[in-house]
Amino acid sequence: MPEPATEGQAEAGEARRGVDRELVRRAQQGDQQAFEELVRKHQGRVFAVAGGILRTREDVEDIAQQVFLKAYFSIKRFDQRAAFSTWLYKITVNECWDLLRKRKVRPLMYEADLNEEQARAYQSKEDGGEYVPDVSERLEAREQLEQWLECLDEKDRAMLVLKEVQGFTVEEIAGIMGLNGNTVKVRLFRARQRVAERIRRKKRAANV
Amino acid sequence: MNDPGIRPECEVLLNELEELGVDRLTEGEVSSALTGTSRQHAVRCEECRAAIEDFLATREGLLPARELVLEPGPWFVARVMAAVKSTENEIEEKKEGVWISVRRFAPRLAAFAGLLLVLGGTWAMEVHRREAALQVPQMRQAEGLFETVPSAAASDEVVATAGEEARP
Repeated sequence: MPEPATEGQAEAGEARRGVDRELVRRAQQGDQQAFEELVRKHQGRVFAVAGGILRTREDVEDIAQQVFLKAYFSIKRFDQRAAFSTWLYKITVNECWDLLRKRKVRPLMYEADLNEEQARAYQSKEDGGEYVPDVSERLEAREQLEQWLECLDEKDRAMLVLKEVQGFTVEEIAGIMGLNGNTVKVRLFRARQRVAERIRRKKRAANV
Repeated sequence: MNDPGIRPECEVLLNELEELGVDRLTEGEVSSALTGTSRQHAVRCEECRAAIEDFLATREGLLPARELVLEPGPWFVARVMAAVKSTENEIEEKKEGVWISVRRFAPRLAAFAGLLLVLGGTWAMEVHRREAALQVPQMRQAEGLFETVPSAAASDEVVATAGEEARP
């Protein structure tokens, strides 16, 4: 198991887990306010995990809601052997993969995936109206990200995004994925090899 | 790392790379973050230098993805709690629905059960009556206390009479 970066961070992590344990205990006894507090605390990271796997905001919001619903109705069976956050992120990853499997494709983010407001803003930019950099730049960034990561399978992609984009530690990723730390490190190492090779190849092709 | 393709002496350096934070790093910064042993190893090991390059290239390539990180809206918690309440209500309604169906059909179920009891009882009595009717002729042969038993007794009388005649 890797050592935490600093003692201070380790203590802070332990304190957070202690607060979570108490909130979970209260939620298991039917305290809805305690569960609401858990949602407030962990919504950001659930969004981060889902956002690393799914493409559209609507999907991320729907899955995040589903994750917390599942957590609510099965919290009495959660035995607190692992951290609540690990359990929650595991549910998130599984829900995301279930959704992708049901769709059977890995859709790129196209204009059709924008909601009405975003599409109007994009169209306005296209028509020479007020410049809205956010939407089109996000589309380009998303498409480029898809290009780099499409050489990876779902699990390696999720692990690399969790590590490099969302800042999860190897230990956290191992807990979420149900793997041991060494396996995560090896897979990250191999995933980086493939992605880096792809990036270099595209850059060489662009320079030609 | 327990991967056959990774030499044990490279594992230490690769482990250290994984422990680096998520900040954007230059090659110099990565090198500074490694231990002295790993830095010296990297100088000698082409594969580890390639691993450091891959690490930097991937981090650089994925940097734009950090701008795509979605944040939950301020209404998200309320949306979740509303969904929890709505689902709880659905579950309660389903339970009540089952009980309401049982109550609605209870009189019909009771009438049907009563009919089955009556029919079953009638059938059982009929079977019993028929069996009883079949046994009646046999029982009548020994009904009266003073009736003699005909044919068997007649043959005995003949034998007894013959025996008396044979006596001197």
